[in-house]
Amino acid sequence: MKMEHIERPELLIIGGGPAGLSAAIVASNHGVRTLLVDEGVKLGGQLVKQTHKFFGDEEFYASKRGFEIADILVDEVKRSPNVLTLTQTSVIGIYEDAVGVYDRTKEKVFSILPGYILVAAGASERFLSFPGNDLPGIYGAGAVQTLVNQYGVLPGKRFLIVGSGNIGLILAYQLYQAGADVVAIVEITDRIGGYEVHAAKVKRLGIPVLTNHTLVRAIGQERVRGAVIAKVDEHYSPIPSTERELVVDVICLAVGLVPSVELVMQAGAELIYVNELGGYVPRRDFRMRTTVDNLFVAGDLAGIEEATTAMIEGKIAALTIVEELRNLDLSEEIERLQKKLSIFRSGPTSEKVRRGLEKMGIHYEGVSFQNVKQTPGLEHKLKPVIECFQPIPCNPCETSCPTGAIVVGDNINNPPKIDYEKCTGCGICAISCPGLAIFMIQEDYTGNRSLIGVPYEFLPLPQKGDVVLALDRDGNIVSNAVVEKVIKSKNLTNLVYISIDRDLAHSVRQIVMPESKPASYVCRCEDVTVEDVMRAIDAGFTDYEELRRYLRIGMGPCGGRTCSSLALNLLTRKTGRSPYELRPQISRPPIFPVPFASLKGGEEDEG
Amino acid sequence: MRDKSIVIIGGGIIGASIAYHLAIMGAKNVVLFEKNYVSSGATGRCGGGIRQQWSARGNVRLAMRSVRKFETFKQELGWDIEYRQGGYLLLAYTEEEAESFENNVKMQREEGLHVEILTPESIKRRFPYVNTTGVLLGTFCPTDGHANPHLANFAYIQRARELGVEVYTHTEVTVVETSSNRVTGIQTKRGYLKCDVLVNASGAWSKDVANMAGSDLPTESYRHQILVTEPVENFMTPLIMSFSKNFYIRQTLHGSFLMGQGDPDEKPGINYRTTLRFEKEIATKLTTVLPFLRNMRIVRHWSGHYNMSPDAQPIIGRDRNVENLFHAVGFSGHGFMLAPAVGEALAEMILTGKTSHIDLSDFDMNRFERKLVKEKNVV
Ligand SMILES: Cc1cc2nc3c(=O)[nH]c(=O)nc-3n(C[C@H](O)[C@H](O)[C@H](O)COP(=O)(O)OP(=O)(O)OC[C@H]3O[C@@H](n4cnc5c(N)ncnc54)[C@H](O)[C@@H]3O)c2cc1C
Ligand SMILES: Cc1cc2nc3c(=O)[nH]c(=O)nc-3n(C[C@H](O)[C@H](O)[C@H](O)COP(=O)(O)OP(=O)(O)OC[C@H]3O[C@@H](n4cnc5c(N)ncnc54)[C@H](O)[C@@H]3O)c2cc1C
Ligand code: SF4
Ligand code: SF4
Repeated sequence: MKMEHIERPELLIIGGGPAGLSAAIVASNHGVRTLLVDEGVKLGGQLVKQTHKFFGDEEFYASKRGFEIADILVDEVKRSPNVLTLTQTSVIGIYEDAVGVYDRTKEKVFSILPGYILVAAGASERFLSFPGNDLPGIYGAGAVQTLVNQYGVLPGKRFLIVGSGNIGLILAYQLYQAGADVVAIVEITDRIGGYEVHAAKVKRLGIPVLTNHTLVRAIGQERVRGAVIAKVDEHYSPIPSTERELVVDVICLAVGLVPSVELVMQAGAELIYVNELGGYVPRRDFRMRTTVDNLFVAGDLAGIEEATTAMIEGKIAALTIVEELRNLDLSEEIERLQKKLSIFRSGPTSEKVRRGLEKMGIHYEGVSFQNVKQTPGLEHKLKPVIECFQPIPCNPCETSCPTGAIVVGDNINNPPKIDYEKCTGCGICAISCPGLAIFMIQEDYTGNRSLIGVPYEFLPLPQKGDVVLALDRDGNIVSNAVVEKVIKSKNLTNLVYISIDRDLAHSVRQIVMPESKPASYVCRCEDVTVEDVMRAIDAGFTDYEELRRYLRIGMGPCGGRTCSSLALNLLTRKTGRSPYELRPQISRPPIFPVPFASLKGGEEDEG
Repeated sequence: MRDKSIVIIGGGIIGASIAYHLAIMGAKNVVLFEKNYVSSGATGRCGGGIRQQWSARGNVRLAMRSVRKFETFKQELGWDIEYRQGGYLLLAYTEEEAESFENNVKMQREEGLHVEILTPESIKRRFPYVNTTGVLLGTFCPTDGHANPHLANFAYIQRARELGVEVYTHTEVTVVETSSNRVTGIQTKRGYLKCDVLVNASGAWSKDVANMAGSDLPTESYRHQILVTEPVENFMTPLIMSFSKNFYIRQTLHGSFLMGQGDPDEKPGINYRTTLRFEKEIATKLTTVLPFLRNMRIVRHWSGHYNMSPDAQPIIGRDRNVENLFHAVGFSGHGFMLAPAVGEALAEMILTGKTSHIDLSDFDMNRFERKLVKEKNVV
């Protein structure tokens, strides 16, 4: 009975984070023979590491701490008769003939033949290339969280954190709580990435968040003894004269998460590049089904988001699978959950996720977010879009507008309102706004291209006809763009008009000139440096797969998890081709190295 | 002939070698189309083994000529393709196999190839990491070897480009236009191109291309899987292979071990997925023959395709129906090693009507009307 349950479950769930656990509870409550495998020692995924209180929805344990939520979910799973859980067990591949699973305690690979698969494997951390990035003492933020919050071990005394998203901010707070010194958080863009409240918390502790700064190199021979940081210029390149040394023994990289799509890719599901969701993600429908019929996804793997949404997505996927297995109609419950998701995603902080899902044809309505989409029928018109939502005492937009189209009103703290009837599209407001929060947009420009006017304060100024890189609100390169015209202004805020794919009209908010940013290792398994990649691109290897094979990028034991996105990024910067045109590195099993002995058949086992 | 427009379909090692050889022989008007990227087909997925120990005489000659060319590859093209002559050690496990090995060696020696016959004891002495249990004899040819297929493929393409060949990647040939048994032009998404000669070097898609040109080929494509370990210190110089046990394994210069086997149950067709069964079978079999593998770790496993003719030998030469169509296809598991000689011979054939080193008549497509000599030394 147990063997059968393991070898032929009706539903195999890969990953025991909030998404996988929630799905397991739903499936087992409906009597579905479910097997949940997770490679960690404890179930709970990212939650186990979180000691802070969660935002979100009451039904989904808001204001409980992350690890407490994990305990509640795990408890419920443990009490359920229809779920078997295997920990310290990794899925190594979804093969044509079976799912390969590696039992780390017995060091044995066995096969599973499930009816349905839900992949809820979460995300892995992005890496960075800089000189010295192969020294001991450099960690991903997740690894440090595991050490500190799960094992109570501090890997050093003085920390530098790279990246000011929520993860970097929360980690700084947790390290402080654990008694470590956080020397600084460096952030390459000009603003803090995470929620203001998280930032405020960290700032109150006296931890400096240095925007427009980057890590230049790590110092040390055997291990990290310090770090050199510097201010960056408009191309995000360090300015040498601003370099300074910090004495630190740990450098934590908190530069974002990438969905762990390897298994889904191996199963043959289609991926699409959605920058807002973390990079390449599986194409899926409202019910979380991928393009492979019996393969579902949920949680961070489907798009980097939150525990709450991961739980809801897990439930929706499980309910859909139950419907099919048991021939039931559960649409009422599914709709209720969809509504929850939709409310959750309606806020301004989910704007990015909404934009991302839109690219898959999954639409969630936003509330109180000013967006040109709210003014239908104006697609032909060149008009300003004002992205200024926080009440701040400021009104040059109002005072500069020659036609009185913009109104801030009596209280200078009011966010501006615009009357498009009165607007002539002159662009003066965009040049006047000290916050660079106004963009000129004409959605219908030519064919399927839109025109965007971006306020630009750097030199050299691009010229008409130049091809530049278009960045989104987070500074990610999303496409290349053609400069259509440049309006120079005395106040040095110039307006650069670019044309881009219409799809991107609501994403692109910045441009940079294509240019290389040399640093160090791209692939640490195979010792490939940025210079190697640049030289190869110059020699004509402009196809990612050719480049990869020429330099052996991603062929080492890491399976390309860190280096492939770095190499893709270089290729994008150097050639000006967007990641939409490039394809992700093909994932080949096993997703991490397994010993031959674990696969070998023979006397002692089933073979 | 040198001004005629020659179109090559396929940017694998075969198409690339043909393009390069045409260019150095002075052809001025050569265009190569690759529907994906360079080395995306079998070439970029193959084991990179280079062997002269064949059972069919034609293959021995072709392979020997290729080895001459691999030996001078670096001087000629200026690319280091990690070529290494560490030999091939073939292991015989049955009486029948041992006997046929002895016959093969006789024929191979007639062709001037230096091959040794080794007893299990001498195998043990020379290659102490091999478990010789069950081995009856081995044959060893020291000039066999291996190279890095990606680099070889890129080398031919880059040199061809430098010599004036136009190479278009991500450009599939979708239509071949013919008129009274002659190809007149081809169509890609970039437009129509008139051509005087069309070369089919499309690997696994050989039959589709022949059909587009109004002819046919008796070829089918079969998936073959292969895996690689993480790199370690270099110590295993020869490629080791057994037909009856169905495996081959080599250590790359980079240090990793590449290995594969054939699967008699494989259905024809294009299939890039991999099976867990393959990993288990390979692990079970090879940890016995090479016990050191037990503690090594597999890092990647992928698949490619053998393009097979009925006698497991390539089809090289002019089409029987369409006059100005040439094929270089059906290379089963040995197209990489033959590419230098095939490229040279086919380029000569196209430009001058004859070949100077290799008699291609063994490989023409009319042979399927005659009695077949099947190549037996395949995995
Ligand atoms: C610092 C930080 C703070 C956060 N704060 C909040 C917050 O306040 N509110 C909120 O809602 N969300 C928060 N989140 C986000 C939340 O933790 C994640 O969105 C959520 O955990 C995603 O759930 P998941 O189930 O998709 O993936 P995960 O929780 O990542 O779980 C994936 C699981 O899959 C397992 N796995 C992966 N690959 C394999 C394999 N091949 N074989 C077997 N098992 C595998 C992993 O071991 C892991 O246990 C925070 C995240 C971080 C990092
Ligand atoms: C697992 C495995 C191991 C192997 N090991 C060895 C070995 O050790 N030694 C050895 O010598 N050989 C080996 N081989 C065989 C060897 O890989 C092939 O014989 C050889 O690579 C064939 O080269 P090719 O150029 O004919 O084919 P390919 O490399 O497949 O190139 C054909 C190209 O044509 C392109 N194409 C097809 N149709 C069109 C079209 N309509 N328009 C444009 N382009 C098109 C394809 O995209 C493809 O890139 C192995 C093969 C496999 C699969
Ligand atoms: S575009 Fe011109 S008219 Fe319209 S709001 Fe701006 S300044 Fe006023
Ligand atoms: S000038 Fe800019 S920042 Fe100031 S209120 Fe107007 S839109 Fe906002």
